[in-house]
Amino acid sequence: MGNDAVIQTSNLTKIYRDFWGRKKVRALNSLSMEVRRGEVFGLLGPNGSGKTTTMKLLLGLLFPTEGEITILGKPADDVEKNERIGYLPEESYLYRFLNAEETLEFYGRLFKMSAQERRQRADELIELVELKDARRRQLKEYSKGMTRRIGLAQALINNPDLVLLDEPTSGLDPIGTRKMKDLILKLRGEGKTVVMCSHLLADVQDVCDRIAILYEGELKIMGQVDELLKAQDKTQLLTSRLSDEAVEDVKHVLAKHNAELQQVDQPTDSLEDLFLRIVSESKARPGQRYIPDENPAEPAA
Amino acid sequence: MNFNPEPFDLLGGAADWAAAIGSFVGLVLLVSIVTALAVHGVAGPVYVFNRIKAGFVDACGVSPRRTWALASLTIKEAVRRKALMVFVVFAVLFMFAGWFLDDPSEHSDMQVKVYVSFVLTSITWLTVPVILLISCWGIPEDIKARSIHTVVTKPTRRIEIVIGRMLGFATVATGILVMMAVVGWFWTIRQLPDDVDLVCRVPVYVEQSLASDPNAPLDEAALKVSGFSFKDREGNLKPTGINTGDVVEFISYIEGATKARAIWQFKKFGTQYLNDKGQLRLETRFQSFRSHKGKIATQLLCQLNFTDKSTGKPVGLPAFEVAEFTQNVFELDRTITYFDADSGESKQVDLIDDLVDNDGTLRIEALAIDSGQYLGMAKSSLFIRLPDRPFAAGYFKAIFGIWLMLVLIVMLGVTASCFVKGPVATFLTLSLLIMGQGFREFMLRLTGEEKMIGGGAAESWYRLLTHMNPKQELPDTLGTDVIESIDTFLLNLLWIVKHIVPNFGNFKLSTYVANGFDVPWSAGMLPGVAMTCAYVIPCLVIGYYSLSLRELEAK
Repeated sequence: MGNDAVIQTSNLTKIYRDFWGRKKVRALNSLSMEVRRGEVFGLLGPNGSGKTTTMKLLLGLLFPTEGEITILGKPADDVEKNERIGYLPEESYLYRFLNAEETLEFYGRLFKMSAQERRQRADELIELVELKDARRRQLKEYSKGMTRRIGLAQALINNPDLVLLDEPTSGLDPIGTRKMKDLILKLRGEGKTVVMCSHLLADVQDVCDRIAILYEGELKIMGQVDELLKAQDKTQLLTSRLSDEAVEDVKHVLAKHNAELQQVDQPTDSLEDLFLRIVSESKARPGQRYIPDENPAEPAA
Repeated sequence: MNFNPEPFDLLGGAADWAAAIGSFVGLVLLVSIVTALAVHGVAGPVYVFNRIKAGFVDACGVSPRRTWALASLTIKEAVRRKALMVFVVFAVLFMFAGWFLDDPSEHSDMQVKVYVSFVLTSITWLTVPVILLISCWGIPEDIKARSIHTVVTKPTRRIEIVIGRMLGFATVATGILVMMAVVGWFWTIRQLPDDVDLVCRVPVYVEQSLASDPNAPLDEAALKVSGFSFKDREGNLKPTGINTGDVVEFISYIEGATKARAIWQFKKFGTQYLNDKGQLRLETRFQSFRSHKGKIATQLLCQLNFTDKSTGKPVGLPAFEVAEFTQNVFELDRTITYFDADSGESKQVDLIDDLVDNDGTLRIEALAIDSGQYLGMAKSSLFIRLPDRPFAAGYFKAIFGIWLMLVLIVMLGVTASCFVKGPVATFLTLSLLIMGQGFREFMLRLTGEEKMIGGGAAESWYRLLTHMNPKQELPDTLGTDVIESIDTFLLNLLWIVKHIVPNFGNFKLSTYVANGFDVPWSAGMLPGVAMTCAYVIPCLVIGYYSLSLRELEAK
């Protein structure tokens, strides 16, 4: 295991069996991978590809059929390692009869934290996940987004070195999603290692340094996101807006170098960017609303 | 209530416990190693050893902080899931119970018995189902809702989850029980008429009688030193008296106007048994059995005799009428005046100096006076009554017995819930409760030394199928050997079950209080305490390994 490897798996295999021990499904097959210190690592794959199984094997919730796991230099079934790990499950499986404060107090008491540290940390996290106004409401009264946020807060209660996030943006609105992604990047900035699994490709692309793609329990590809996405046989130029004449000139220049201009268009915002911009403008200017044009132009034939 | 209380044999109990645990551990180890060999091959035993080692490491690393955090969570869960609704039922029950229980015509003893039994029984049957259900459903619900994922992915050891849950539910049980007990106590005090004497009597019984010890020799020498014995109508020492019909088996009868006697011998008797006024308080409760109507307006007469150690002559107390369905109480001054029939004079003797023999034994004989009538007695029918204790002392000891039972139910419920789902855990714990309450005597009889008529299960089936008389000997064949081997195996299995199923009868201390007695430590409370303690380690070990060896993801 390299010095900077936080997680290392070798030939990790998981076969689910029925009550009689008969093989039901091979959820993971000989997964060997490494997650390095300080990176955001994404586990990608369609539903049933083995992402969550991998996560649960890493956490010791499932026992591997074959193979080995080392996390923070310790085997997966060593509870001591959990002192430095934060885990956000796919659904926020929290105690619904507790309120936000009690939830963080409870999880804080499972770590070696003094009462004062717990209180201080809980206040910080409640502020961070913006649940200040709902801190004394029982979780059963929370919306799905709020539950995810308090779930994230409990995962960070111990200021972990390694954060495991299972579908972190699931159930969040675009603002929540953006905040979650910002937070993941912030955690990386603090030198923490983040492992997330998701099937929302845009989210993974936005925050992950490296990804692994699983399909039917097998690792299909793993590497740097930029490298994997780079189209090796194409070049992209981004300029200020060009006139039609200038575009023609560019074509001539390209032709001289035996290249072809394949596409000319204006870059667009992502839908997420547009949404966030509208929301932030609405906050700045409340009352402003969109009035549809009474005589809309006929669409071009 | 055991009216023939014997001190609990703690060492014997510990030996039985060690034998049962040893057998169980041996069996589990054997099965584990065989299974591990089948699954992991030659590395199997190493795997088992590593698991055992991990268990010890986890046990040593238990954090009180984490454990209490889990216990607090359990308490909050129980409270917020409205487990305390049981108080509503309790309140309704007690609001109207007085209507049905109030009977001023009843003797005061019986009124106390009715009220105290009702309160303690109600508390038991209201708390047991609630505690049983919440303790059996806690962990399975956690696993089902996957909340446990957020706990085991913290530095929490599985043993801490088991202990935390047990501690939490035990605290809930304690809270509920204390509140009910206090309300029940005030209710009892207020409901009973003012003239009812609410106290807890503290009896001192004679030591082990030969009649209750089947292994003791029954020769005259042994009977002479026995704590309790009889003399027949000719004056010969006997272990029991006359049987008038087996109504109550442990009571024997003496015939009136004969040499028949019941004899109690209090060993190591001294001033410690006298009260502040220097008096000896004796209490008797004898049964009357009339073989003819006799003087129907008066009760049967009885007399108690001491023995003067210097002359060997009886020192008779005045005859008294045996109170029916209640007790006679005598407060004897240290100086006793009696009528000496030989000299025709009244004489005086000192209770300690003249009536206690040189080895410190005070001998009391009871004799029936009415000819042709009988008085029934048992070892516990005559006792020295030490200064009474407040009713609250006995009442709260009985509550302590209920608490021990609840704690044991919590331990069993949580343990079961570590390896099966909520409904199955409930069924399992309830089965243990029912077997431990009602079927224990039956199991003891089956596994006792006395051979059952008709043999064991296999032999009985054989006899049924072949229409063979139960008394008829089986033929000396190989088939008989096989049948007997199967029965021996089944009986050994039942022996293990007998030792696994807790004796819930040990927790029923309410009978002492309901009958106006204090709960004795050794004969009353110690068996319950020992029983509960005996289950702590096995439950923790089973719970821990059940939770550690299962994938908490699996539903």
